[in-house]
Amino acid sequence: MTSSASPLLKARDLHISFGGIRALRGVDLEIGRGEIRCLAGENGSGKSTFTKIVSGVYSPDSGEIEFDGEPVTWHHPKDAVAAGIQVIYQDLSLFEHLTVGENIAINHMLQDRTPFVNRRRMRRIAREQLERVGVELDLDAPVSSLSMANRQIVAICRALSMDARLLFMDEPTTALTGREVGRLLNIVLELKRRGLSIVFISHKLDEVFRVADSISVFRDGLKVGDFTAAELDENALATHMTGREVRYERYHREQESAEPVLTVENLSRTGHFEDVSFALRPGDIVGLTGLLGSGRTEIALSLFGLNKPTGGAISIAGAPVKITAPWDAMKHGIALLPEDRQTQGLFGKQSIAVNASATMLDRILSKVRTLSRRKEVELADRVVSEMHVNNKRIETAVSNLSGGNQQKVVIGKWLFRNPRVFILDSPTVGIDIGSKAEIYEQIHRLAREGMAVLFISDEAEEIVANCNRVLVMHEGHVVQTFEEDDVAKDTFKDDLIAVISDPEAEEASAQAVPVGAGAGLPAAGITDAGIEAQK
Amino acid sequence: MKRTPFQMAFHRRMTAMEKTLLAIIVLYVGFVALRSATFLSAATFFDLARSGAAITILALGVLIVFVSGGIDVSFPAVAIVSGYSAVLISRALGVDNLMFITLSAITIGALLGSVNALLIHFYRLPTLIVTLGTASVFHGAMAILLGMKTYTRADVPKSMLDFGGARLFTLDINGSQVGLTVFVPVVVAVGVLTWFLLYRTRIGRSVYAMGSNEESASRIGMGLLKTRLFVYMYVGGLSGLAGIVYFSNLAYINPAALIGTELAVIAAVVIGGAKLTGGEGTILGTLLGVVLWQLFQNTLIHLGLDSSFNDLFFGGVLILILGFIYYRQRQANKRALVFAAS
Repeated sequence: MTSSASPLLKARDLHISFGGIRALRGVDLEIGRGEIRCLAGENGSGKSTFTKIVSGVYSPDSGEIEFDGEPVTWHHPKDAVAAGIQVIYQDLSLFEHLTVGENIAINHMLQDRTPFVNRRRMRRIAREQLERVGVELDLDAPVSSLSMANRQIVAICRALSMDARLLFMDEPTTALTGREVGRLLNIVLELKRRGLSIVFISHKLDEVFRVADSISVFRDGLKVGDFTAAELDENALATHMTGREVRYERYHREQESAEPVLTVENLSRTGHFEDVSFALRPGDIVGLTGLLGSGRTEIALSLFGLNKPTGGAISIAGAPVKITAPWDAMKHGIALLPEDRQTQGLFGKQSIAVNASATMLDRILSKVRTLSRRKEVELADRVVSEMHVNNKRIETAVSNLSGGNQQKVVIGKWLFRNPRVFILDSPTVGIDIGSKAEIYEQIHRLAREGMAVLFISDEAEEIVANCNRVLVMHEGHVVQTFEEDDVAKDTFKDDLIAVISDPEAEEASAQAVPVGAGAGLPAAGITDAGIEAQK
Repeated sequence: MKRTPFQMAFHRRMTAMEKTLLAIIVLYVGFVALRSATFLSAATFFDLARSGAAITILALGVLIVFVSGGIDVSFPAVAIVSGYSAVLISRALGVDNLMFITLSAITIGALLGSVNALLIHFYRLPTLIVTLGTASVFHGAMAILLGMKTYTRADVPKSMLDFGGARLFTLDINGSQVGLTVFVPVVVAVGVLTWFLLYRTRIGRSVYAMGSNEESASRIGMGLLKTRLFVYMYVGGLSGLAGIVYFSNLAYINPAALIGTELAVIAAVVIGGAKLTGGEGTILGTLLGVVLWQLFQNTLIHLGLDSSFNDLFFGGVLILILGFIYYRQRQANKRALVFAAS
C-alpha cells in the first residue's frame, strides 16, 4: 500500500442537509492511491450521499475536498469526471439499445468536438478498454443481449475510457453469479495493480472483504471508523453499522407433526435444475442456498407455477398436485415472496392498503360482491399492525416506505390467506440490519404457528439464523443437505460457507467438509492466495 | 462469422419485424399480380410512389420521435399549418418560388416543433399529452389567424404545380404516358439524411441513448434539452416539407387535410418495429411499414375490394405481426425467467 504517498482523495468535515435532515454530519475520509476501499453502512447512513458529493452531484454545505493534493470544488458532475472520478451506479446506466462499442465510447463521443460519429475511432476506444480488462465482447452486439456480468464489464470499460483515477462501484456484485463475481474481483485487482483507486459500496461484505484494503463504516451521517478486513468479522461490522449489538435469534422447530405439507420428488426442469427432492413439515424453515444461478430461484418459481417442470412430482399434504399457474399454487396454499420486491412484489405507486389487500380481494367483498372500502381498511390495518410496519397510515404509497417496511407489506399481504407453504426468495436483500431482525422474528413466529417455510438466501448468516434444515445447490443439483442435527452443530456456519463457496469439492467427496471460511470461489481463477499475492 | 451483404452495408442484421414485413409485402404483391393482370405495371408503382411520398416523409419524422422515447401526434397539424402558412406567405409576397415556399414551410414546422420540445422539456409532461394539446392549438390558431379558405388549382402557386407535375422520366406504355415523380429523389434524400443523422452523428446517437434510458443519458452529461429540440424540430421540419409535397401533389390546398391521419402513420412506424418505450426502431422497418400501408391503401381495388378494407387488413396485419413477435419475445423472457416488462 502507498501509505507514504499523499492520499488521492481527502475529504474533510463534510456536512450536507436535505430539508432539515442532516445526511452527512462531518465526514472525514481519505482514499489512498491504488487502494481498494469499501464503504459499508445501512441504508441512509450517508455512504451514497458521500459518493454523490465526491462525484459532483451534490455540493456540500460545508467541508473541503482535496483531490490529488489540490483543493477542489465541483460545480457539476462533469468537473469530477474531468478530474478522473467515475461512478458506476448499481443500475449501470447503460443504453440497452446501443451497441457495446457505442456504450463504451459514448462519453468520448460526447466530448469530441466533431458532431459526427467516427466508427473506427469508436471501435478502437472500445477495443482498447476491453483489452485493459482482458475481456472479449462483440462490439456490435446491443447491450440488451448481454448478461448482467458482461454489462458490468461494459460499464467498467466506459468508466475507464475517461481516464478514471478514482472509481466508485455501487453494489457491483448484487446481480452476478459466484463465478462472475470472481471474474469481476479479479478485474478490480488488476485495475488496482495499475494504480487505480477503487471504492466499493456494498452490503455483501464477504466478497468485499476479499479484495478491500480497508473498510469505512458509516452510520447516521457519520463515519464510525476505518477498519482493515482483519479487524472485522460480520458481527463486529453489524455492531458498527447499527451502533448496537445485533444478535439474531436462531430458530428451532417445535412442531410435533412429522407429516410433510409439501413434498417434492425428483423435480427437474431441463437447463434449470435436476432431480431435486425434499419435504417440508409444518414448522420447518428449510434453507435453500447456493450461489446465484445454482437453480434455487428456478425451483421457487416452479413451485409457484411460473416455471413449468419437465419431470418429477409435487405433493401437497400427501396428495399429488399439478401447479401450472400462480392461482393453482395459491389454491393449494402456497405463497411466494419474489426475489425482486420492486418489480414482482409490489404495486409501487399504490397505497399500503391496495398492496395489502391485493392477494385477498375475495375477502373484502361487500354483500353485493363489490369491493368494500371498509373491509379493505380493516384488513390493511391488521397487516400493518401484525407486521409492525412503521408507517401506520395505510394510504401511504409503498414506494415511500423503506425497503424493510416494503418487505413487511409483501409478507403481510399473504398472511391472512393462511398459506401452508411460504416460499421466501431472498427476503432481506437491500434491507438494513435492524429491519432484518424484525422480519426474521415474523418468519419464526409464522413457522412456530405451523407454517412451512422455504427460505432462499445466499447469506450464510441469514441461513444460520433462520433455518432448521438446509439444502445447498450447485448447478441445478442439491449437493449437500444439512439435517437438524447438522444445523445444531457449532461448526454449522463454517461447514455451510465451505460448501457454498466450494460446492464442487463437495460433489467429489460427499462428506469430508473442509472447515474454515473463505475458500476460493469455484473455477473463478481467484483464490485467497492469489489475492494476497496481488495485494 | 459469415456476413450477409445487408450486414456489411448496415453493420447489423435484419430484425425479425423487417423480415416478416418484407415477406408479407412480397407475398401480397405476388398474390395481387396473379389476380390482376394490370397490377404489375410501371403505372401502378409510379402512382404508389407519388401518393406515398408525403406519408413516407412524415413517417421518418415520427420514427425519430419514437426512438427518442416519445410519441408525437401533432405532425399532421404541423404539416398543414406550415404548408398552408408558407403558401399564404408566398401569395402575400408574390414570391412564387418553390425553394422559398419549401424553406418557409420547413422553418415554420421546425419552430412549431421547438414549441413541442420546450413544453415537453420544461413542464416534464408526457409527450403524448403535449402534442395532443399543441396539435389542436396549432391548427386552431391557424384557423383563427389565417382562416380556413381552400385554394383550387388556379390559386395554387405555379411553382408548386410544376413540382407536383414534374417527372424524373416518362415511359410510353401502350400509347399512354407514365412518369416517375420527382418526389422520389426528395424522399430518398430525406431517408438518407435521417439515416445519417441517426447513425452517424453524435446527436443521432444521443437520441437513441435518451430513448434507451433518459436518466443514464443525463448522468453522463448528455444535453437532454438539445436532444429534444433536435428531435421535435426535425420532425417539425419534415412535416413542413411533407405539407408542401402533399399540397403540390394534390394541386389543391385544403387546410383541413391530413388531420386524422396521425394514427395511420404511427401504425405504419410501429409495424416497422419502432417501440413506444423508446430506443428502438429502424429506417428500413419504417419504410417497409409505409410501403405495406400504401399497398393496401391503393391496390385492394385490384382484388375487387373497396379501399375501406385497407383499415381492416392493415390493422389485422399489425396485430398479428406484433402479437407474434412480442409473443416470441415473451416466451424467450419466460425461458430466461425474466418477468420484468420489456
